[in-house]
Amino acid sequence: MGIAETYTRGRQFAITRPGSVLVALVGAVLLFDLVAGLATGRHSFSGIGSLVWDGLMRGLVVGLAGIGLSMTYSILNFANFAHGDYITAGAFSGWATTYLVAGFGRADVGALLLVGAGGSVFGGTLGIGVTTTPVAVVAGILVAGIATVALALLVDRTTFRPIRDADGITLLITSVGVAFALRYLMQFVFGSDVRGTTSQPPAMALYLVDGAVRINAHDVALVVVAGALMLGVHLLLQLTKLGKAMRAMADNEDLAQITGIPTERVVRAVWVIGGGLTGVAGYMFILWKGTLGFNDGWLLLLLIFAAVILGGIGSIYGAIVGGLAIGLTASVSIVWIPSAFARAAAFLVMIVLLLVKPEGLFSGRSTA
Amino acid sequence: MSTDTERDPPAYDADVSKETIPDREDQALLEVRDLDAGYGDLQILTDVDLDVADGEYVTIVGPNGAGKSTVMKSVFGLTSHMGGTVIFEGEDITGRRPEEIIHEGIGYVPQNDNVFASLTVRENLEMGAYILDSVPQDALDAVFERFPILEERQSQKAGTMSGGQQQMLAMGRALMLDPSLLLLDEPSAGLAPDLVDDMFDRIDAINDDGTAVLMVEQNAKEALRRCDRGYVLANGRNRYMDDGDALLTDEQVRRDFLGG
Repeated sequence: MGIAETYTRGRQFAITRPGSVLVALVGAVLLFDLVAGLATGRHSFSGIGSLVWDGLMRGLVVGLAGIGLSMTYSILNFANFAHGDYITAGAFSGWATTYLVAGFGRADVGALLLVGAGGSVFGGTLGIGVTTTPVAVVAGILVAGIATVALALLVDRTTFRPIRDADGITLLITSVGVAFALRYLMQFVFGSDVRGTTSQPPAMALYLVDGAVRINAHDVALVVVAGALMLGVHLLLQLTKLGKAMRAMADNEDLAQITGIPTERVVRAVWVIGGGLTGVAGYMFILWKGTLGFNDGWLLLLLIFAAVILGGIGSIYGAIVGGLAIGLTASVSIVWIPSAFARAAAFLVMIVLLLVKPEGLFSGRSTA
Repeated sequence: MSTDTERDPPAYDADVSKETIPDREDQALLEVRDLDAGYGDLQILTDVDLDVADGEYVTIVGPNGAGKSTVMKSVFGLTSHMGGTVIFEGEDITGRRPEEIIHEGIGYVPQNDNVFASLTVRENLEMGAYILDSVPQDALDAVFERFPILEERQSQKAGTMSGGQQQMLAMGRALMLDPSLLLLDEPSAGLAPDLVDDMFDRIDAINDDGTAVLMVEQNAKEALRRCDRGYVLANGRNRYMDDGDALLTDEQVRRDFLGG
């Protein structure tokens, strides 16, 4: 193991994978800048800590919402563009429930059911929050999940099932149509204004070297719910008969069929599980960010696609890891660039990583 | 799709009429009669007759594109049915879907992509028993006894195993339901030459334990040596049917299908 040998190996790597070297170089420069900034006091430790925490929360939302997209992709072989509007549908149905439970008797029922459309009721006025109105929040989570399952099954039955055997592009374009129909139906019903949904949640301050990183109750709720659901999906896929059948079907649909796996029933289960996760993700997203508009899911979908593609489309573990990577990038990038470009940075990272590792972090269309 | 069978038969068809195929109806486990089948609108098989008796070992040989695999897929409900009947254990299963046929006691091992690559060996075997309420321990033990390597590699991902091991896993998966008829599509395909004999020995053993086997093989000579009876298929039609050894020594079969 002489120096010459190491040099040869390094040279070989640089020639065969120039992209990796470049990425590593850029990473090193950014890291050096960060360390230098911290040393000179240009950045504060607590400031960076807050960005990382914010990125993790954003990543959990994206990752949780991405699981459903990845599942439907791996089992049904198409990229469902209506997924973002399933998120919004989950959010509206859940939040209508939360408003109703929290504000019943204090405001007009119609206004509550429309989640305060047109400024008729404000979530802050109702004092909504996970600590102040826990029952309303739990009811909202449940309804968000159930309503989105119903919506996903309804859309599948009426729209996707008749063209189940069509190619991916046909399904994709159909799903774009479904997305538009859903989005503007929700805009028609709930209005186009962005409303505040929660009152200021209590927060605690974690001291980090030179300041505090604030973690509020809704962050904690998000961590708990997202963590539990991710663990649940993992256990479902690895330990249950249904989960194994889902992985088998994602792996090889023809073989699944000749093995006697009832494929149409597995498809239904995928919509139920994927839809439920998506609806809850939509609810938690709104709880965490505190505002709700009819475009929220659609805008989030771009980040979700970035995460899912980055993780290796079709892999639910890839969706989770990809979500965290995209979320962290979008938040932490403002250390170096103006915040208006934060989303662009997330996509840039996705593109660069795919150039270096084209198959995604967790390669392949396998749910495992 | 018309079931027009008026295509010009090849010259050697004339002297081998369907009368050479004896009626074995009384003892047949599987009974295929006048089967016309294909994919979509494309007809591949014409008037195919085939029997497998209980516990019998039957092979189908023939040139590439003869429709050998199509016969097997048709029995398992994977093709478009265009005419004729498939009777299994006295029950008409013509045109039924694979997920129904698997309940009747037929196991099918396709030629390619016959394992779930991203699942572990054990999970693959569990999928073989999917239609049962729980995985039968005795069936699992029997498969492990037959293929000890599968027990050793239980938690390995199937996709990382060698071709021969994957073939054993595919057979093991099909055996999880203890079928009375096992359909094997080219079990020796893609195996290293020194593994081919071993694979045939294992198929012999499965058959010796009472499972009837219907096998399609490219490796025609070896398959005919091993089986009880063979069918020679060409252009989607029956050509010859006889004991394996008789086919091996038949001058015309040797010349036309076995390369002399």
